[in-house]
Amino acid sequence: MLKLHGDETPSTIKEVILRLKVKDATKKHIFTARKTDSLRHIQNLMRDNGISAVPILEDDVLVGMISVNDIISALDKGYTDDPAEKHMTKSLIILEDEMPLSYAIPFFDKYSYRRFPVVDKDRRLAGILSSRDILLALLHELNNEILELEKMINTEPADQMDRIKREFIVTKFDFENAGRASYELKKTLKDINAPRQAVRKAAVAAYELEINIAIHSDGGVMAFEIDDKKIVITARDKGPGIEDIALALQPGYSTASDWIRSMGFGAGMGLANTKKVSDDFAIESNPKTGSFIQSTIYLHTAEEQAAEGE
Amino acid sequence: MRPEVLIDEAASRVEGKFLHRGSRKFARWVVASSLMSDVLTTDEEDILLLSNLNTAQVVRTADMISANAAMVACGKPVPQDTLDLAREPDITLVCAEYPIFETCFHLAPLFNTAKK
Ligand SMILES: Nc1ncnc2c1ncn2[C@@H]1O[C@H](COP(=O)(O)OP(=O)(O)OP(=O)(O)O)[C@@H](O)[C@H]1O
Ligand SMILES: [Mg+2]
Repeated sequence: MLKLHGDETPSTIKEVILRLKVKDATKKHIFTARKTDSLRHIQNLMRDNGISAVPILEDDVLVGMISVNDIISALDKGYTDDPAEKHMTKSLIILEDEMPLSYAIPFFDKYSYRRFPVVDKDRRLAGILSSRDILLALLHELNNEILELEKMINTEPADQMDRIKREFIVTKFDFENAGRASYELKKTLKDINAPRQAVRKAAVAAYELEINIAIHSDGGVMAFEIDDKKIVITARDKGPGIEDIALALQPGYSTASDWIRSMGFGAGMGLANTKKVSDDFAIESNPKTGSFIQSTIYLHTAEEQAAEGE
Repeated sequence: MRPEVLIDEAASRVEGKFLHRGSRKFARWVVASSLMSDVLTTDEEDILLLSNLNTAQVVRTADMISANAAMVACGKPVPQDTLDLAREPDITLVCAEYPIFETCFHLAPLFNTAKK
């Protein structure tokens, strides 16, 4: 079962759990019965709809629950014609729909129930929450999280054959994989026999920008576009943006912490390096939309191009 | 271009152990820093990258500047993922017994340190 305590829960899942409320996971279309309904009626309700617990209402207000176990006892002892009210569990553990989901999860450890009724602020029944519902809600939310990242990826079809486009997701503080996008770019450039100097410049620019996304931003995307003239490297991230761009471009300026420095980054040279090796360099940043940094590197120098044109 | 120095020769001066032998057997220059962006500013060729770090990013950085070799100072043990990463880009990986300053001291006479 899900646990929120301790360090076993991965941080993305924790973030998602903290963002969700009980009502986001609660199953709302549920079957209910009145307290005057017979246990037999409830047994049929359970069998026909494949459910294992039914909330019991009196004038729309939750007054108890009947579970499969209650029905088994009724069959065993032969009192299925009794009204629900006589055998229902009345001391209920109830969740409120506005509670954070993180507050509800420990309930599954603390109490022996596998599901809890959920009420709204007027104490009206809003639905039922089971551990399965929580898992579904988490999967749904994580899926959205991934879609969000994928949206940042350009989905334009590769229209020309002689144009290569590739994109990579870069995750915050993932030092194991940081640099993989740049490694792939370099490999691609070598495969197409790009000139050595252009390969080196592109690799340096891409790597600096990729590492910056991993250590300074909340995550983002590295995109590469290569045609017969140039390499365009684009780094986009989800924020928090660069406060003072002119300052960030100055060699030696860095906000990296000591532990980042102990990993080998934070000389404050990255953006300056990138600009130096780029033929064109563009940078935009905004606390809402994040940072956009683009480095363009020509495959051939101006002299080489001129020589080719002759 | 600066003259070639055999990596075998350089390693032997600092009690270096080879963790991976790449196909490029020489270096023309040493860049020593434990901040990777400092390393990435260089435009020297056929580099031996010397640092205190034993992380994957040292090999990544070496690859970006097409370095021939990476040397980890202080006899630091090198984790498997760093080693694995060195294979594909064909980077020689050496672990030197000496700290960075002594390593530089022993390597400097091998390389032609005259201005380019
Ligand atoms: N994608 C980004 N999102 C937010 N802030 C950034 C981003 N990229 C750079 N910065 C800011 O700009 C500063 C300078 O970046 P730069 O890459 O030049 O140096 P650094 O990353 O701190 O160190 P180095 O690149 O030398 O390891 C960073 O310290 C950080 O404050
Ligand atoms: Mg940087």
